[in-house]
Amino acid sequence: MSIAQKIKVLIVDDQVTSRLLLGDALQQLGFTQITVAGDGEQGAKIMAQQPHHLVISDFNMPKMDGLGFLQAVRSNPATKKAAFIMLTAQGDRALVQKAAALGANNVLAKPFTIEKMRAAIEAVFGSLK
Amino acid sequence: MTADVQHRRIHVIQGEYKVSDDPDVVLSTILGSCVAACMRDPVAGVGGMNHFLLPGSANGSGGEATRYGVHLMELLINGLLKKGARRERIEAKIIGGAKTIAGFSNVGEKNAEFAQQFLSDEGIRIVGSNTGGDVGRKLEYFPVSGRARQYPLSGAEMQKTVALETAPPRIIAPKPADTSIEFF
Repeated sequence: MSIAQKIKVLIVDDQVTSRLLLGDALQQLGFTQITVAGDGEQGAKIMAQQPHHLVISDFNMPKMDGLGFLQAVRSNPATKKAAFIMLTAQGDRALVQKAAALGANNVLAKPFTIEKMRAAIEAVFGSLK
Repeated sequence: MTADVQHRRIHVIQGEYKVSDDPDVVLSTILGSCVAACMRDPVAGVGGMNHFLLPGSANGSGGEATRYGVHLMELLINGLLKKGARRERIEAKIIGGAKTIAGFSNVGEKNAEFAQQFLSDEGIRIVGSNTGGDVGRKLEYFPVSGRARQYPLSGAEMQKTVALETAPPRIIAPKPADTSIEFF
Protein backbone atom coordinates (compact mmCIF):
# COMPACT_ATOMS: atom_id res chain seq x y z
CA MET A 1 0.00 0.00 0.00
CA SER A 2 1.42 3.37 -1.00
CA ILE A 3 1.59 6.34 1.37
CA ALA A 4 -1.10 8.08 -0.68
CA GLN A 5 -3.51 5.17 -0.17
CA LYS A 6 -3.12 5.43 3.61
CA ILE A 7 -3.90 9.14 3.78
CA LYS A 8 -7.53 10.18 4.32
CA VAL A 9 -8.18 13.40 2.42
CA LEU A 10 -11.01 15.88 2.82
CA ILE A 11 -11.71 18.21 -0.11
CA VAL A 12 -13.63 21.38 0.72
CA ASP A 13 -14.77 23.63 -2.13
CA ASP A 14 -18.10 25.29 -2.92
CA GLN A 15 -17.82 24.66 -6.66
CA VAL A 16 -18.89 21.23 -7.88
CA THR A 17 -16.52 21.42 -10.84
CA SER A 18 -13.54 22.31 -8.66
CA ARG A 19 -14.31 19.41 -6.32
CA LEU A 20 -14.47 17.01 -9.26
CA LEU A 21 -11.20 18.29 -10.72
CA LEU A 22 -9.45 18.15 -7.39
CA GLY A 23 -10.75 14.65 -6.71
CA ASP A 24 -9.56 13.59 -10.15
CA ALA A 25 -6.10 15.10 -9.53
CA LEU A 26 -5.83 13.34 -6.17
CA GLN A 27 -6.82 10.01 -7.67
CA GLN A 28 -4.11 10.46 -10.28
CA LEU A 29 -1.68 10.98 -7.41
CA GLY A 30 -2.76 7.65 -5.92
CA PHE A 31 -5.19 8.76 -3.20
CA THR A 32 -8.15 6.47 -2.66
CA GLN A 33 -9.73 7.70 0.59
CA ILE A 34 -11.33 10.97 -0.46
CA THR A 35 -14.26 12.79 1.18
CA VAL A 36 -15.80 16.02 -0.11
CA ALA A 37 -17.61 18.94 1.51
CA GLY A 38 -19.24 22.05 -0.01
CA ASP A 39 -18.22 24.68 2.53
CA GLY A 40 -16.22 25.21 5.71
CA GLU A 41 -19.13 24.53 8.01
CA GLN A 42 -19.78 21.12 6.46
CA GLY A 43 -16.02 20.47 6.40
CA ALA A 44 -15.69 21.22 10.11
CA LYS A 45 -18.59 18.86 10.89
CA ILE A 46 -17.00 16.03 8.91
CA MET A 47 -13.63 16.63 10.57
CA ALA A 48 -15.20 16.62 14.04
CA GLN A 49 -16.95 13.30 13.32
CA GLN A 50 -14.15 11.65 11.43
CA PRO A 51 -10.74 13.34 11.44
CA HIS A 52 -8.84 13.20 8.14
CA HIS A 53 -5.06 13.36 7.78
CA LEU A 54 -5.09 15.94 5.02
CA VAL A 55 -7.47 18.79 4.29
CA ILE A 56 -7.41 20.59 0.95
CA SER A 57 -9.70 23.58 1.15
CA ASP A 58 -10.66 26.47 -1.06
CA PHE A 59 -10.47 29.94 0.52
CA ASN A 60 -13.47 31.68 -1.05
CA MET A 61 -16.60 29.89 0.18
CA PRO A 62 -20.00 30.84 1.55
CA LYS A 63 -20.95 30.31 5.21
CA MET A 64 -17.48 29.60 6.58
CA ASP A 65 -14.53 30.57 4.38
CA GLY A 66 -11.21 28.75 4.21
CA LEU A 67 -9.61 30.77 7.02
CA GLY A 68 -12.59 30.21 9.35
CA PHE A 69 -12.48 26.53 8.54
CA LEU A 70 -8.72 26.40 9.16
CA GLN A 71 -9.28 27.98 12.58
CA ALA A 72 -12.01 25.44 13.36
CA VAL A 73 -9.68 22.57 12.43
CA ARG A 74 -6.77 23.97 14.46
CA SER A 75 -8.88 24.69 17.55
CA ASN A 76 -10.26 21.15 17.83
CA PRO A 77 -7.77 18.91 19.72
CA ALA A 78 -8.93 15.89 17.67
CA THR A 79 -8.15 17.53 14.32
CA LYS A 80 -5.50 20.16 15.03
CA LYS A 81 -2.64 18.01 13.74
CA ALA A 82 -4.19 17.47 10.31
CA ALA A 83 -2.23 18.82 7.37
CA PHE A 84 -4.05 21.75 5.81
CA ILE A 85 -3.46 23.00 2.27
CA MET A 86 -5.37 26.12 1.24
CA LEU A 87 -6.28 26.74 -2.39
CA THR A 88 -6.91 30.22 -3.65
CA ALA A 89 -7.99 31.61 -6.99
CA GLN A 90 -6.54 34.98 -6.09
CA GLY A 91 -2.78 35.00 -5.52
CA ASP A 92 -2.93 37.40 -2.61
CA ARG A 93 0.08 37.79 -0.33
CA ALA A 94 -1.94 39.05 2.64
CA LEU A 95 -4.13 35.94 2.49
CA VAL A 96 -1.06 33.69 2.36
CA GLN A 97 0.34 35.38 5.46
CA LYS A 98 -2.97 35.07 7.32
CA ALA A 99 -3.23 31.40 6.38
CA ALA A 100 0.35 30.82 7.50
CA ALA A 101 -0.29 32.60 10.80
CA LEU A 102 -3.34 30.41 11.41
CA GLY A 103 -1.33 27.27 10.78
CA ALA A 104 -1.83 26.31 7.13
CA ASN A 105 0.86 23.94 5.93
CA ASN A 106 0.80 25.24 2.40
CA VAL A 107 -1.07 27.58 0.09
CA LEU A 108 -1.51 26.71 -3.56
CA ALA A 109 -2.72 29.08 -6.27
CA LYS A 110 -5.39 27.92 -8.71
CA PRO A 111 -5.23 26.76 -11.41
CA PHE A 112 -2.73 24.26 -10.07
CA THR A 113 -1.04 21.55 -12.07
CA ILE A 114 -1.03 17.99 -10.79
CA GLU A 115 2.73 18.24 -10.26
CA LYS A 116 2.32 21.39 -8.13
CA MET A 117 -0.34 19.62 -6.07
CA ARG A 118 2.00 16.64 -5.64
CA ALA A 119 4.82 18.96 -4.53
CA ALA A 120 2.55 20.75 -2.04
CA ILE A 121 1.42 17.46 -0.49
CA GLU A 122 4.88 15.89 -0.52
CA ALA A 123 6.25 18.97 1.25
CA VAL A 124 4.11 17.86 4.19
CA PHE A 125 4.07 14.06 3.98
CA GLY A 126 7.25 13.24 2.08
CA SER A 127 7.12 10.98 -1.00
CA LEU A 128 3.64 9.68 -1.73
CA LYS A 129 4.90 6.41 -3.20
CA MET B 1 -21.64 49.66 -33.90
CA THR B 2 -20.49 51.26 -30.67
CA ALA B 3 -22.02 51.72 -27.27
CA ASP B 4 -23.83 54.94 -26.50
CA VAL B 5 -21.49 57.81 -25.85
CA GLN B 6 -22.24 58.09 -22.15
CA HIS B 7 -21.12 54.53 -21.49
CA ARG B 8 -17.65 53.84 -20.21
CA ARG B 9 -16.19 50.97 -22.17
CA ILE B 10 -14.00 48.33 -20.53
CA HIS B 11 -12.40 45.84 -22.85
CA VAL B 12 -11.89 42.27 -21.69
CA ILE B 13 -9.08 40.38 -23.39
CA GLN B 14 -8.47 36.65 -23.55
CA GLY B 15 -7.65 35.20 -20.14
CA GLU B 16 -9.17 38.14 -18.30
CA TYR B 17 -12.36 38.86 -16.36
CA LYS B 18 -13.95 42.16 -15.34
CA VAL B 19 -16.71 42.89 -12.85
CA SER B 20 -18.66 46.12 -12.39
CA ASP B 21 -21.67 47.50 -10.56
CA ASP B 22 -21.64 50.74 -12.55
CA PRO B 23 -24.72 51.08 -14.79
CA ASP B 24 -22.70 53.32 -17.13
CA VAL B 25 -20.13 50.64 -17.86
CA VAL B 26 -20.22 48.42 -20.92
CA LEU B 27 -17.90 45.44 -21.08
CA SER B 28 -16.74 44.59 -24.57
CA THR B 29 -14.72 41.87 -26.19
CA ILE B 30 -13.98 40.28 -29.54
CA LEU B 31 -14.58 36.56 -29.90
CA GLY B 32 -13.54 34.10 -32.56
CA SER B 33 -13.53 30.56 -31.22
CA CYS B 34 -13.17 32.02 -27.72
CA VAL B 35 -16.15 32.08 -25.40
CA ALA B 36 -17.26 34.80 -23.02
CA ALA B 37 -19.42 34.02 -20.02
CA CYS B 38 -21.46 37.03 -18.95
CA MET B 39 -22.94 36.75 -15.46
CA ARG B 40 -24.87 39.04 -13.19
CA ASP B 41 -26.96 39.18 -10.06
CA PRO B 42 -30.01 41.28 -10.97
CA VAL B 43 -30.83 41.97 -7.32
CA ALA B 44 -27.36 43.12 -6.26
CA GLY B 45 -26.95 45.03 -9.53
CA VAL B 46 -23.53 43.64 -10.31
CA GLY B 47 -22.29 41.77 -13.33
CA GLY B 48 -19.18 40.75 -15.19
CA MET B 49 -17.62 38.95 -18.10
CA ASN B 50 -14.73 36.60 -18.68
CA HIS B 51 -13.12 35.60 -21.95
CA PHE B 52 -11.41 32.28 -22.40
CA LEU B 53 -10.05 29.92 -24.96
CA LEU B 54 -9.28 26.49 -23.68
CA PRO B 55 -5.81 25.90 -25.07
CA GLY B 56 -5.93 23.05 -27.58
CA SER B 57 -9.00 21.01 -26.90
CA ALA B 58 -10.87 20.37 -23.72
CA ASN B 59 -10.53 16.60 -23.64
CA GLY B 60 -11.17 14.77 -20.42
CA SER B 61 -12.30 16.20 -17.16
CA GLY B 62 -8.96 16.41 -15.44
CA GLY B 63 -6.86 18.14 -18.09
CA GLU B 64 -4.89 21.34 -17.59
CA ALA B 65 -7.14 23.04 -20.16
CA THR B 66 -10.23 22.32 -18.12
CA ARG B 67 -8.60 23.57 -14.96
CA TYR B 68 -7.72 26.79 -16.75
CA GLY B 69 -11.33 27.30 -17.91
CA VAL B 70 -12.70 26.51 -14.46
CA HIS B 71 -10.26 29.00 -12.99
CA LEU B 72 -11.58 31.84 -15.16
CA MET B 73 -15.17 30.93 -14.28
CA GLU B 74 -14.31 30.86 -10.60
CA LEU B 75 -12.53 34.22 -10.73
CA LEU B 76 -15.61 35.79 -12.29
CA ILE B 77 -17.99 34.22 -9.78
CA ASN B 78 -15.75 35.19 -6.84
CA GLY B 79 -15.53 38.74 -8.24
CA LEU B 80 -19.34 38.96 -8.31
CA LEU B 81 -19.71 37.53 -4.80
CA LYS B 82 -17.20 40.08 -3.50
CA LYS B 83 -19.37 42.88 -4.84
CA GLY B 84 -22.45 41.57 -3.09
CA ALA B 85 -23.87 39.00 -5.52
CA ARG B 86 -25.48 35.84 -4.17
CA ARG B 87 -24.58 32.63 -5.90
CA GLU B 88 -28.17 31.38 -6.22
CA ARG B 89 -29.26 34.58 -7.97
CA ILE B 90 -26.54 34.62 -10.61
CA GLU B 91 -27.73 34.30 -14.20
CA ALA B 92 -25.48 33.75 -17.18
CA LYS B 93 -25.23 34.29 -20.90
CA ILE B 94 -22.79 32.35 -23.04
CA ILE B 95 -21.52 33.95 -26.24
CA GLY B 96 -18.91 32.95 -28.81
CA GLY B 97 -17.29 29.69 -29.82
CA ALA B 98 -17.43 30.17 -33.59
CA LYS B 99 -15.79 27.70 -35.95
CA THR B 100 -13.35 30.23 -37.33
CA ILE B 101 -11.00 28.02 -39.30
CA ALA B 102 -12.38 25.54 -41.79
CA GLY B 103 -10.89 22.08 -41.39
CA PHE B 104 -9.60 22.68 -37.86
CA SER B 105 -11.06 20.68 -35.03
CA ASN B 106 -13.98 22.60 -33.65
CA VAL B 107 -12.34 24.23 -30.65
CA GLY B 108 -15.07 26.88 -30.50
CA GLU B 109 -17.78 24.29 -30.02
CA LYS B 110 -15.77 22.61 -27.26
CA ASN B 111 -15.32 25.94 -25.50
CA ALA B 112 -19.05 26.60 -25.59
CA GLU B 113 -19.83 23.07 -24.40
CA PHE B 114 -17.39 23.50 -21.54
CA ALA B 115 -19.09 26.74 -20.41
CA GLN B 116 -22.55 25.21 -20.61
CA GLN B 117 -21.48 22.10 -18.71
CA PHE B 118 -19.76 24.17 -16.05
CA LEU B 119 -22.83 26.36 -15.46
CA SER B 120 -25.22 23.45 -15.36
CA ASP B 121 -22.96 21.55 -12.90
CA GLU B 122 -22.79 24.63 -10.69
CA GLY B 123 -26.53 25.22 -10.89
CA ILE B 124 -26.16 28.65 -12.49
CA ARG B 125 -29.09 29.60 -14.69
CA ILE B 126 -28.35 30.22 -18.38
CA VAL B 127 -30.72 32.96 -19.53
CA GLY B 128 -29.30 33.35 -23.01
CA SER B 129 -26.73 31.93 -25.32
CA ASN B 130 -25.48 32.47 -28.80
CA THR B 131 -22.67 30.14 -29.75
CA GLY B 132 -21.22 28.44 -32.79
CA GLY B 133 -21.54 29.62 -36.37
CA ASP B 134 -18.71 30.47 -38.75
CA VAL B 135 -18.30 34.13 -37.97
CA GLY B 136 -16.64 35.76 -34.97
CA ARG B 137 -18.45 38.27 -32.82
CA LYS B 138 -17.95 41.60 -31.22
CA LEU B 139 -19.77 41.50 -27.90
CA GLU B 140 -21.00 44.24 -25.61
CA TYR B 141 -22.44 43.41 -22.21
CA PHE B 142 -24.02 45.79 -19.75
CA PRO B 143 -23.16 44.23 -16.39
CA VAL B 144 -25.94 45.89 -14.40
CA SER B 145 -28.87 45.51 -16.81
CA GLY B 146 -27.65 42.23 -18.27
CA ARG B 147 -28.26 43.42 -21.80
CA ALA B 148 -25.96 41.85 -24.40
CA ARG B 149 -25.41 43.08 -27.95
CA GLN B 150 -23.38 41.37 -30.58
CA TYR B 151 -22.17 42.19 -34.06
CA PRO B 152 -20.62 39.86 -36.62
CA LEU B 153 -16.96 40.57 -37.36
CA SER B 154 -15.97 41.83 -40.80
CA GLY B 155 -13.50 39.81 -42.90
CA ALA B 156 -10.49 41.86 -41.81
CA GLU B 157 -11.51 41.77 -38.15
CA MET B 158 -11.98 38.01 -38.41
CA GLN B 159 -8.47 37.51 -39.80
CA LYS B 160 -6.96 39.57 -36.99
CA THR B 161 -8.95 37.72 -34.33
CA VAL B 162 -8.10 34.28 -35.71
CA ALA B 163 -4.40 35.27 -35.82
CA LEU B 164 -4.56 36.28 -32.16
CA GLU B 165 -6.39 33.15 -31.09
CA THR B 166 -4.15 30.75 -32.98
CA ALA B 167 -0.94 32.33 -31.64
CA PRO B 168 0.88 30.07 -29.18
CA PRO B 169 -1.27 29.86 -26.06
CA ARG B 170 -0.45 32.44 -23.49
CA ILE B 171 -1.70 30.81 -20.35
CA ILE B 172 -1.67 33.34 -17.62
CA ALA B 173 0.04 31.35 -14.97
CA PRO B 174 -0.68 31.89 -11.31
CA LYS B 175 2.12 33.17 -9.15
CA PRO B 176 3.08 30.11 -7.19
CA ALA B 177 6.43 31.59 -6.22
CA ASP B 178 4.63 34.41 -4.39
CA THR B 179 1.99 32.33 -2.77
CA SER B 180 3.78 29.14 -1.87
CA ILE B 181 4.83 28.68 1.69
CA GLU B 182 6.42 25.59 3.07
CA PHE B 183 7.11 24.82 6.66
CA PHE B 184 8.71 21.43 6.24
